[in-house]
Formats: sequence, structure tokens, C-alpha cells
Amino acid sequence: MPAIIAENLSKKFRIPKEKRTTLFQNLIGAIKRQLEYQEFWALKDVSFEVNKGETFGIIGRNGSGKTTLLKILARVLYPDKGTVTINGKVASFLELGVGFQPELTARDNVYIYASILGMGKKQVDRVYDDIFDFAELRKFQDMKLKNYSSGMYLRLAFSTAIHASPDTMLVDEVLAVGDEAFQKKCIAKIEEFHRQGRTIIFVSHSLKTVQELCQRCLLLDAGRMVSLGATDKVVADYLSLLQRSP
Amino acid sequence: MWQYRELIKNLTLAEFKNRYQNTALGFFWSLLSPLLLSLVLWFVFRNLFRQEENFAVNLLVGIMAWRFFATGTSAALQSIVAKPSLVTKVYIPRQILVLSTVLANLISSLLEFLVLLPVLLILLGHLPLTVVLFPLIHIPYLIFIYGIGLFLAALFVYFRDMNQIWEVLVNILFFCSPIVYPLSIVPGYLMPYYILNPVTQFIIVYRNLMVNGTLPSLTSTAGIVIAAIVAWFIGNFAFERLQRRFAEEV
Repeated sequence: MPAIIAENLSKKFRIPKEKRTTLFQNLIGAIKRQLEYQEFWALKDVSFEVNKGETFGIIGRNGSGKTTLLKILARVLYPDKGTVTINGKVASFLELGVGFQPELTARDNVYIYASILGMGKKQVDRVYDDIFDFAELRKFQDMKLKNYSSGMYLRLAFSTAIHASPDTMLVDEVLAVGDEAFQKKCIAKIEEFHRQGRTIIFVSHSLKTVQELCQRCLLLDAGRMVSLGATDKVVADYLSLLQRSP
Repeated sequence: MWQYRELIKNLTLAEFKNRYQNTALGFFWSLLSPLLLSLVLWFVFRNLFRQEENFAVNLLVGIMAWRFFATGTSAALQSIVAKPSLVTKVYIPRQILVLSTVLANLISSLLEFLVLLPVLLILLGHLPLTVVLFPLIHIPYLIFIYGIGLFLAALFVYFRDMNQIWEVLVNILFFCSPIVYPLSIVPGYLMPYYILNPVTQFIIVYRNLMVNGTLPSLTSTAGIVIAAIVAWFIGNFAFERLQRRFAEEV
């Protein structure tokens, strides 16, 4: 059974000709009867399957629809056409430290973030010490998060995230943040997850990282599938695409 | 929703803690402000309604009941827009954001009513037995507020002036409910419309149970149950329809 089946995914964004966010503006707009929106297809007919235990890369230029696709898989956005079937528990890392609240202590925040990622209280209790050890923040458990430096914040978020144990992980370019050492740590963790047999969907600009981590890839351009298959082949397709129309 | 109970609990407590962070008196504000408001209103209106029995007690019960509605719905209205990252960066059922906000207000409300009990005992000289039925009214009230909260929160994502509109409506509703004046001064010809206000029905039942020591009438009971179910149903329906594009609009 594949971990993810995506069938004919399409996503349309509506770009308002003028931004209307209040009821008043909407009333005026309704009276004037202008054409309200311009349509923009961010994804068009994208279908693929990801096998269990596979690390699957999504690559493409800026604006090619990578993040939109990932957000649909994460159920944050609804597709206008097509369906997604996901087997097993999913955790999405479109951003680290979602739901962190600066006014609360690190301890409280770890419990909140962990429950957002789908962990139960007992599960968190079990790995609580590991989380703070891995983040090297044992001394700062009861400090309010607003007093954390951005590095500490990131370490805490990352450490909590990797201790949630989902079957499938959706990873956006969280690796782009943090210093070199942090990025190395992230990549090492992803490799470890892969060895544990988890499914990972990985969106990145860095072809080197994608080649290191992913067995198969999907190449998107302007919302359409250009190439799907073994990483080396897809990366080659990407490079020739860049040469043809830079 | 059940599988998210841990998250609901954590978000509710976070919401509650957050509200009283960096305040000197902490959650005592939640008790102090309705008491002070009641005191002011009592000073203003006591001569007008001098002959009314239990005016002060009725006022207090009315204010406490009203506050849950007013602060609960206003906080729920903001609950989606105030936490954009929980909408755009991760999937959780978005109802949870509204629910945890309303539940945090429920905690405040329960504390307020708890403090009200000794005050009632002093002012009335006794506590009506029917006070033990309090949960039977507070639960439909909670559902009612949650339903309205869902509706408002979903609309607020698309129409950012909902909060201004709701503020005005809440103020109007305050004076259309028998809080600072007794029900008896409402003119007879207006009565049929007046009692259609669900908040009025809730306040009447709170007073039945907490002041008069009587069981609510069948009409009032039916009224609040129907109000709760209708609000919940409409709120859920609207929210379900509107939440699909939340991530694009927040």
C-alpha cells in the first residue's frame, strides 16, 4: 500500500483585482459588479504515488507550485480538483515551532507543539528529557520563550519536532534556516528517519541535498508535472529545463 | 475531535494563561471587573428600580451570564485570525481554535459564578437549592456561544470589519436583554419580540435557578435548548463551508 496517492491535483488561486477585505468594500464591489477575480492555476493535473519508506523529493523553480503541492498534502489547502489519499499519521514541517507562544515557558510550549504534531501527553513525558537534551537547553526549561534567542528557539522547535514520530513527514525548506552545523544535523536526522522506514516528502532548492536524500523526485514547472522518476534522471531534466528557458 | 483532546486541553490552558500574563492581579481581574461593573450599574439604577425585589442580586446574575456571552463570542471571533500559523502551516481541525478560546472563557465564567455564590448567600440570606442545576443551563449556554463563535470566526477571516459590527451588535443586545432593568418594564406589545432574544431566555433561567429558587418554565427551557442547537448547527455549517479557503485568506 503506498503511503501517499495523489490523483489529478489541481489548485486554483483567485487573485482579487482589488483587495477587498471588509464587508463595506464587498458591498460596494457587489453593487458595481466588476469582475472580481483573476484566476491562476498554481497546480494542474498532478498525479503521483509515494511508496512507504521512500524519501521523495519535489523540485522546481520559484513559483512552480512546490509549496502549494506540499500544503495540499498537509491538508492546509484544499485542492479544487483531484484527491489525496494518505495512509498513516502525517506531520508537516512547513515551518518549525508552529504555535509557539512567547509568553509561555519552554516547557509549556513543548507540550503545546507536541500535541499539535499529534503526540499524546504520555508520549511527550517519555521523550521530554531527550527533547531538552538534544536541544542542549536543559537549564532553560522554565524560561519564557520570549527570552530565548532565535537560535535557542529554533533548536527547541526542531528537537520537539523530531521526537514526534509520524509515519509520514512533509518537510519544506526548513533546512534553509539555521547555520551550517544545524543544517547538517537536520540532514543526518532525515537520513535516520529514512533508515527507520518512514516516508518523507522533501521540498528543496538545493539539488545537492535532494540527490543525497531522495530516491525518487517530481519536477514541477508552472504547476505542471514535467518529470517523475529516479532522482538522477529528474535532476538532469531540471538542469536541461533551466538551460532551455532560464 | 476526540483524538485531539490533548491539543484542545493544551490550547485552552495556554489561552487562559496568556490572558493573565504580566497582569498584577492575574485572573482576579476576571472577578473584579464584573463586580465593579455591577457596582456602578447598581449605583446608577438603584433609585429607578428601588421597589424591585432583589434588584442587586438579579443584576449580578445578569452581568455574570452576560459576560460569558459577550467576552466568549468576541474572543472566539478573533480566534482564527489571531493564530495564522496554526491555519497555514499545519493541519488541525480549525474548530479547535474556536473551541479552545471558548473553553478558556468557560473557565473564567465558572470562576466568576463560583465567587458569586457567597455573594448571593450574603445578599439573599440563603442559597436556593436549584443552584445545583446550574450545569444544566451552563452547558446549553456554552454550546450556544460556541456556535455563534464558529460563525463569527469564519466570517471574520473574510470580512475584517466583523469585529466592529459585532461590537455594536453586542452593545445593542446588552440593552435588549433584561440585565440592568427588570423584565416587567418591557411594554406588553414588544414582549413577543423581546423574548425571542435567546440571551433573554438564558438570563431568565439563570435567575430562576440562582435567585428565585424556581424551576424554569417549559417555554424557557425549550427556548434555550433550541437556541443552543440552532446556533451550533448554523455555526458548524457556515464554518465547514468557509474554512476551505482559510489558509488563503488569513
